[in-house]
Amino acid sequence: MDNNKKQAASGKAADSKKRKEAPSAATGTKNQNQQGKDSRPPARPQKRVKFQDARNIRSQPSDAALDDGKLDLQKFLHAREFEIKALETSMRKCKSANATRVFQQVPREMRRRTASHNAKRVPKRLRDRAKREMLEDNTPTVEARKRRPRTTRARIRAENAKRLEKLAAKKRKRALQREAEGENKDEPGKTTIQTRAPRPKIRRDTLNEPPKPKSKFKKRQINKTWLPTHLWHAKRATMTEPTKPLWRFAIPLTPTQKCYRPTHRASGQKGTVFWDTSYMSTVRLYGAAGGIEQVLKALGLVQESLWGNRGRKWRNGTRTWSGMVSRQQGSSRRDVGPATIIWNPTPTDETTAPESNTTEQKKTQRQILIRTHPSCFLELFDELVKLAKLQTPQVHVEDLRFEIGSIELTGPGSTETLLAVLQPYHTEERHGQVFSSLVGVTNPASLPKDAVLGFSVKDPRLSYPPKRVDTASKVSDPALLDTLTQWPVEEQVKPYGLFDRDVRFKASSLPPQKSINRRKGANIPGQEIQVTAADPPIPVIVFASRPTAGGQAQGTWTLLAPWKCILPIWYSIVHYPLSTGGNPRLGGLNEQRQIAFEQGTAWFPGDFLGTNAGVVWEMEQRAQRKKAWDRRPKGKRIEWASLDLGAGRKGEIGDGLACDFEHLFGLPKDPSPSSSGNQSTLDVDPNAMDVDPGEEAEAASKLGKPHKDTLPSLATVEQMKKTEFNALVSSANLVRPPPRSIISVNITFVTRGVANACARIYRLPSRPSATTTVPSSEAEVPATDPVAAGIGSLPADLRDQWLQKLPSQKSGSRCSKTTTTHAAPHIPHGVDQGTRKQLMAKSLLSGDPLPYPRPSAANQTDIGGGHPLCPGEEDLIGFVTAGAYSLSEGKGTAVGAISAEKAFDTLQECKSGNNKEGRLCIVRNAGESVGWLARWELV
Amino acid sequence: MVRLKDRYLLVNIVYTDLPTGQKGPVPDLLLYNQPTIGELRPQTILKGIRSQVNALFGDCGSGSVERSLQVKYLSTATSTFILRISRAHYRLVWAALTFMDRLPVKDGRPCVFRVVRVSGTIRKVEEEAIRRAKLLVLAAKDEMAGKASSDALNALFRGDKDSVRNLALVNDDHDDAEMDEGEVSDG
Repeated sequence: MDNNKKQAASGKAADSKKRKEAPSAATGTKNQNQQGKDSRPPARPQKRVKFQDARNIRSQPSDAALDDGKLDLQKFLHAREFEIKALETSMRKCKSANATRVFQQVPREMRRRTASHNAKRVPKRLRDRAKREMLEDNTPTVEARKRRPRTTRARIRAENAKRLEKLAAKKRKRALQREAEGENKDEPGKTTIQTRAPRPKIRRDTLNEPPKPKSKFKKRQINKTWLPTHLWHAKRATMTEPTKPLWRFAIPLTPTQKCYRPTHRASGQKGTVFWDTSYMSTVRLYGAAGGIEQVLKALGLVQESLWGNRGRKWRNGTRTWSGMVSRQQGSSRRDVGPATIIWNPTPTDETTAPESNTTEQKKTQRQILIRTHPSCFLELFDELVKLAKLQTPQVHVEDLRFEIGSIELTGPGSTETLLAVLQPYHTEERHGQVFSSLVGVTNPASLPKDAVLGFSVKDPRLSYPPKRVDTASKVSDPALLDTLTQWPVEEQVKPYGLFDRDVRFKASSLPPQKSINRRKGANIPGQEIQVTAADPPIPVIVFASRPTAGGQAQGTWTLLAPWKCILPIWYSIVHYPLSTGGNPRLGGLNEQRQIAFEQGTAWFPGDFLGTNAGVVWEMEQRAQRKKAWDRRPKGKRIEWASLDLGAGRKGEIGDGLACDFEHLFGLPKDPSPSSSGNQSTLDVDPNAMDVDPGEEAEAASKLGKPHKDTLPSLATVEQMKKTEFNALVSSANLVRPPPRSIISVNITFVTRGVANACARIYRLPSRPSATTTVPSSEAEVPATDPVAAGIGSLPADLRDQWLQKLPSQKSGSRCSKTTTTHAAPHIPHGVDQGTRKQLMAKSLLSGDPLPYPRPSAANQTDIGGGHPLCPGEEDLIGFVTAGAYSLSEGKGTAVGAISAEKAFDTLQECKSGNNKEGRLCIVRNAGESVGWLARWELV
Repeated sequence: MVRLKDRYLLVNIVYTDLPTGQKGPVPDLLLYNQPTIGELRPQTILKGIRSQVNALFGDCGSGSVERSLQVKYLSTATSTFILRISRAHYRLVWAALTFMDRLPVKDGRPCVFRVVRVSGTIRKVEEEAIRRAKLLVLAAKDEMAGKASSDALNALFRGDKDSVRNLALVNDDHDDAEMDEGEVSDG
């Protein structure tokens, strides 16, 4: 029985070459070993002999240096020359026979766990050596196909596979027979009717279904949709858990390789990072221009600049608009999420004629694309449908989520990568020409702000592998500077192909890889494949965006293309050889957040607690932190209740595992912050994607307002914009911001300190009103003056203590002198042993003895001898949502949110004095008693 | 990971007298760098060192040296050998070599064992041996050309000044210094 199986398996091996195969020689030795062990010497001793041989250095007998027993110069010379040669050969041999195996020599990103026993896991050029080494080492190899199934499930699968194989063979045979019959009959069998490939249905004003997955992968996509590059990513990145998709998608979270520092480098200095952001949702809005304008205005795009003359370029479709959209909620507006809006240009000759006639212009049919984040998509889509229905004539909404995919790139090499991959299809297209002339651009942010280019490109597989773009000759080319300043995209602008459903569909039916391979094979090696009628143009839109922080930071390219064209483009990008060396680096969700953090900008949805999507994210994070906290043993986790904040304060303020704005604003606490079930129904609704048409309306209505009923009390917190807040602060009349509003801030530590998520942000404590004029001399001795403050209350001069921590003040040095009286004298660097000993002796003998018992309990007036206490709870103003040591700043930074009201009050207080004190804050990590001085800026 | 840490010593055997049967004046170059008799085997060197270590440091010393001492290379034609010894005890071996004044064979000729390089890897020792051999070749060529004083020979015997200073440093703070790698010069 077993033998039969084996034979069958080996038979299979013969006719179908599969991936994993042990080196044939290795199996040969195994067989030999089974038959007779002495037919071949064992591998290990052989290797040992080899090593010994390599390490042996040849030498001459002494006669070689003597001429008949006499000393001779010539012989002397020959002896030395022989020695040199012998030593050199020994060094060479040793190096070649060193103990490393080939799989240890490949660069880190090419290492594979199984490379030690599977030769196919090393690069091709090393494969032969790997096989030989495995043979020498007698490495046991396992052939996956021949492995006996161990578990019940595996056995069932194996049986299934066998049965399926039989079926397939039968089918193949039948097909062959039919073919033979057809040949016999010849003519009558031919079909004359040609059918059109089915176009996917796009229904207007409702959600659309995701593309039908292959039946092989159907079961895995029941609750989620795969990105077009899922199979590629699943091997190279940590994906979201199968049962817990993020925003109804399986999204790569982070590459499997360690990449924190490489990502920082690639995004700022050298190289490029790229993402498949096909999960971003796209909506098309079409109808009369006036109606569209009304809808957009209702979404919060009310700025004069957009609809006046300044927004003409945007409305013509040559610029994008990116920003937060909002919706009316009761009497106030609530942010929904970030969106990018692109208008489809109308042909130039038409737009110029009716320029004067505004009513005519309002009636022209226009289209826009709204690209938004999937976490706020359902909310926005619902709002859009509602608004679109109000317009007369009606404006329609199309859900293009699975029609249009996107790729984002950032970093100095992003432009050249795109240039190599995207080759314009039509040479006469204006936008294509402009795009091709961008050779030499090293920062997408150097393009005009929000520039858009829409054109069609060739199938990137035709010129695969991508060739390196010659950037060196084009740097500081005057023509390039001209292009960047003039930006000649306005003339002969045509509607973008990506808006057109038929064009998208045509592009989606690209010729199969097989036919491209065939054409490549027929071509002369090295020659590019010519574009034929079978290769449809791929409509793309690329736009550059600048980071909101401004400055020298790298911008981002976004490439929109039909969903099914993302994969070929992706493969080309992956393999593009950058001019600075290496390939583009893969990024995941964490890398996106990391780059946003390093640029000092807020990341949606994690840093936007004032939006529903942000609230959902925060709730999920809380649940995750709670789970991680619960899993730790009791002795190794932070016991929140026993945290000593100093001055008799015990316990963490609010929930230590949350950005506890409920506590800050006095909102009702949710029953359990860890009830993730609540959130999962909210966010991850399986019905959201594939529902029957009948149920759809019901599902949509359910999805339309899930937030009001199920969202926690945190959702009543409102986000305030930077501009609004600045206007309030600078205005003369004291209009306070609404009570439950927050503003996003970027925090930089003044001296030391690194914040984590959930860290508490305090403002500087105010001076007690009775003693407004505290002499600064008192503040210098905070540590040794326990009388200044009563037990159980904060010191009166806490603010001054904190202000002394500012490095620029001269009193800082004096302060440090006074506070370190108890510490041993600092021994300067670079002194010799004798001085060291003297200093040590001096410090032991003459130092003041420590007072005993200590004058006050620990953390009563200061922390650890000299560090000021944290301010009280009344000075808590906000929380950090993301924080770490920033590689770009070289110190700790954080992104967080603070209460707009308290920030406003603080700024008003400090308005009379110097304004800088108002933006100082103290950041304390949750569960720690030490706070550090920091400065906040609005983002 | 636990690693055995070794030191490699490059040793030259320097002679000061003429071999029997040699007549007439011999250039200094040849005089000092004579070949050694073929009876000197690795085993005899080890035996000589061990007995010297035993005489100098007693049983404790010889016991600590016993296990790790090994001759990696011995060329009698050029009077050069490479020793391997554990890092902790290489000083004992060095001291023993310094005190040895004849070849450890029967009726051994008087000679000096000169440690010219101590290194953590055999590679560096080999490189040094090659460097020295090359200098000697240059010196021999100069000798053949009839030059009175050869730069190469001077360079070889004087040693560069840095190494001299290093050696002085090693001697100064002997107790805590781990200055045990680098070229050694006693010239």
